[in-house]
Amino acid sequence: MLKVENLTKVYPNGTVALREVGFEVQDGEFLAVIGLSGSGKSTLMRCINRLIEPTSGRIIWDDTDLTALSPAEMRKMRRQIGMVFQQFNLVKRTSVMTNVLSGRLGYVSPYQSLFNYFSPADHARALRNLERLGLRDKAYVRADSLSGGQQQRVGIARALMQEPKLILADEPVASLDPVLSHSILKYLEQMNKEDGITVLCSLHFLDLVHRYSTRAIGLKEGRIVFQGLPQEIDDAQFKTIFGQEAERVTIL
Amino acid sequence: MSPSSSHPPNALLASVFSLLVPGAGQLYLRKRARGLAVLAGVLVLAYLINWADTNFKIEATVNWLWFVFVLFWLWNVFDAYRLARGQTTLNRLGLLLAIVIVYVIGWQVTDINPDRLVTRFKDVQVVFRALVYPDLFTQAGGSWQPSENFGDIIGKIVDRPAPDLLVQLGLAQKGATVPTPVLGKMAETIAIGLMATVLAIIFAIPLSFFAAHNIMSHVPGGTFIYYAMRTFLNIVRSVDTIIWGLIIVVWVGLGSFAGTLALTIHSIAALGKLYSEEVEHIDPGPIEAITATGANLLQIIRYAVIPQIVPPFLAYTLLRWDINMRMATVVGFVAGGGIGFFVVETIRKGGYEQYAAALWAVAIVIILVDYVSAKWRERILAGEVKVSAEAPKPFYTSLRALFWLALGLAVFILCWQLAEIDLRKLFEPAPTFVKVVRDFVAIDVSPDVLDTVLKQMLITIFQALLATTLGGLVAVPFSFLAARNLMGGNALSLVLYYLARGVLNVLRSIEALLYVAIFVFWVGIGPFAGMLALAITTFALIGKLFSEAIENIDPGPLEAIAATGANALQMIVYAILPQIIPPFISYLIYQWDINIRIATIVGFAGGGGVGLLLNTYFGMLQYHKAGTVVAMIVVVVAAMDLASAKIRERMV
Ligand SMILES: Nc1ncnc2c1ncn2[C@@H]1O[C@H](COP(=O)(O)OP(=O)(O)OP(=O)(O)O)[C@@H](O)[C@H]1O
Ligand SMILES: [Mg+2]
Repeated sequence: MLKVENLTKVYPNGTVALREVGFEVQDGEFLAVIGLSGSGKSTLMRCINRLIEPTSGRIIWDDTDLTALSPAEMRKMRRQIGMVFQQFNLVKRTSVMTNVLSGRLGYVSPYQSLFNYFSPADHARALRNLERLGLRDKAYVRADSLSGGQQQRVGIARALMQEPKLILADEPVASLDPVLSHSILKYLEQMNKEDGITVLCSLHFLDLVHRYSTRAIGLKEGRIVFQGLPQEIDDAQFKTIFGQEAERVTIL
Repeated sequence: MSPSSSHPPNALLASVFSLLVPGAGQLYLRKRARGLAVLAGVLVLAYLINWADTNFKIEATVNWLWFVFVLFWLWNVFDAYRLARGQTTLNRLGLLLAIVIVYVIGWQVTDINPDRLVTRFKDVQVVFRALVYPDLFTQAGGSWQPSENFGDIIGKIVDRPAPDLLVQLGLAQKGATVPTPVLGKMAETIAIGLMATVLAIIFAIPLSFFAAHNIMSHVPGGTFIYYAMRTFLNIVRSVDTIIWGLIIVVWVGLGSFAGTLALTIHSIAALGKLYSEEVEHIDPGPIEAITATGANLLQIIRYAVIPQIVPPFLAYTLLRWDINMRMATVVGFVAGGGIGFFVVETIRKGGYEQYAAALWAVAIVIILVDYVSAKWRERILAGEVKVSAEAPKPFYTSLRALFWLALGLAVFILCWQLAEIDLRKLFEPAPTFVKVVRDFVAIDVSPDVLDTVLKQMLITIFQALLATTLGGLVAVPFSFLAARNLMGGNALSLVLYYLARGVLNVLRSIEALLYVAIFVFWVGIGPFAGMLALAITTFALIGKLFSEAIENIDPGPLEAIAATGANALQMIVYAILPQIIPPFISYLIYQWDINIRIATIVGFAGGGGVGLLLNTYFGMLQYHKAGTVVAMIVVVVAAMDLASAKIRERMV
């Protein structure tokens, strides 16, 4: 279970990106995070695995306070928390295989990994994960020769290599067209349902929230302004989250 | 000028202002940049004419120059008048007048004597014959054999006493001789270029991180280190390799090692700058992603940073290797070692056949290096995509990798020896070194020294200007022959195309400093010879760039103009020229900038200009004055760099 308490983040330039944010996520949930651009979604995701150091507040993950861990302990903990990015963040000039294997770095011997050595078991695991995402035949091509949707699937395969209990997906489909968006979210849904991985996913479109998430939170200017079931987001709720001028749009 | 403005500009007043003080009328009309440019133009032209009059015997033309100068002054009045009346100004006329003055002075002070090209042509035929029959092979007993000169340049096999190792292995008897390969000056040159590149990489990589803004902004006090490192790299880079050579020779003595060091120092600065810019362009995304997997710092560097920087680093290094190989062919002029030193010696002895052979050897090696470096870079930047569905075998187990590793190591050791690298020498500099450096830094600023240096510096700038013009003029028609898209028509034009390309490539592979000897023999020592040598390299380089610009012409406008029913001439004027003139001018300005750098060193081979002065001062151990020359070169080169970059920026 993930519990976020009074989380506040103030950037060095004085921007307050999160204000006293608190919520809980039960194991196995698919939690959507919605909010306007600049509302603090990315900051929240990155505070959870401490890619960004929170200013104050606590993050409790399975009874461990992540904010109290030393850097080395935090690195160990990150193995359980996979992350998927809007820009995919693959190492473009290396092969798909190396990108996927790099998801294993937290587990392997640091010295062997410096020589690009991964055990046969890890290779097999990587191929299995690629197979699952329909990319088995792309294992040895360069990452940047893939299309956007394929690159994001590689990103998911990399996260799966961590055998995570939690996946943080920061606008995983914002750079993709609608058809691909559904395909990527279906994969995340599959991981959520079949493997029981908890998913935190920030999304822009309400349709997608309705279709895939089990629960949602709405952020506005760093504050939580909505918490509940996706179906509960009515027009009034929608306007509190996205502002009075916002119009609902549907995709596909 | 809008009629509604409360003070309609008075055209007469503006003209009178400009008549009294050039540019004043334009300033009065609120054209600040124009007014200042006109004023600066008048001052510079007057200074130049006066300078040429007092320093050179130009009685015959000086009055004509003043006459044109007066015309320029009158043009400025006229310009103010038309400006005030809101009429179109005649920029080109003013520019033309100024250009006439500059070129006439340039012609005089660089001692141009076209008649000598004709009258002494008979003498120089010796050199041309040598170029056709270089001293590489001799005919002995009906068969061709490598000549002695071939051995000096490329290498030979001589009998040497057997080394102990062979004796111990029982492969040779004690005291017996075995045939041993001895490599020549060209191999030494290759070794110098290679070692300088390798050494430069080792130092440039760590330095580049200190000169990268994105890294240093995370380190306390980093911003200061960043600016200090950037400034340091820029200063070191602005001093030419040849001049570094002069300084290094004082430190470690004449020889290949000095040449290698000079090249290394300049390369460290050049590579350091390029590398750091590449580090600044690292994409932070992958770093974030790898961090999120729980990787530690070393793993992050290995998996997110190195894959991003290795390809561009390699590409820059290959480019630098190419440059270093070229510089290695001339660094011997001052530092000793390599084919440059060989050329100096053969010319002193009048061995033009040996000199010609050296030129051919240089051409072949440099063309090869150029080709390999370009192909390799292309492959790196394109990034070959592997499509096999099988896992590649790990690198270190493959035999081929081992073979390359061993070969690389062997080449490294061989080059280390050929370049006479002796790190101990670095720590035991000549006893006078400290004094020399102190003298060198305390530059001599007495008026007559400054006067002399300035005079030679101006000659150098004019040399570069005339060489760029001459080379550019010849290159224009030639570049059409070397453009693939124009010459693909029939077999004859294809032959012409390959011929033109070949000529450009061969000429381009040899540095200006190596050409000077031919022209010294032809027209005599002095700025004219240096100018001609520069014109040759300019022609080769500009010809290549021009032909590429022609190849890149967009066919769209051609089609559009043709569709209007235009004839061939109209198509050239309206569709081709507008597309090629801007890049041509941009290349020419860039080339002038490069030529000024090279013109500062052609003096070392008898090509006149500021290099001659530097060589003399160093020869006479007058380091204060040598320091003045170097300081002047650094300032002028930096100013020209800036000006040329600004002008080219405005053009695109
Ligand atoms: N490194 C930073 N330094 C200073 N301010 C930052 C930094 N990163 C983000 N911010 C600011 O913090 C606020 C929240 O940003 P965040 O990226 O978390 O929003 P977001 O909801 O993910 O927006 P988007 O949909 O555009 O990705 C914004 O006002 C942003 O400008
Ligand atoms: Mg974001």
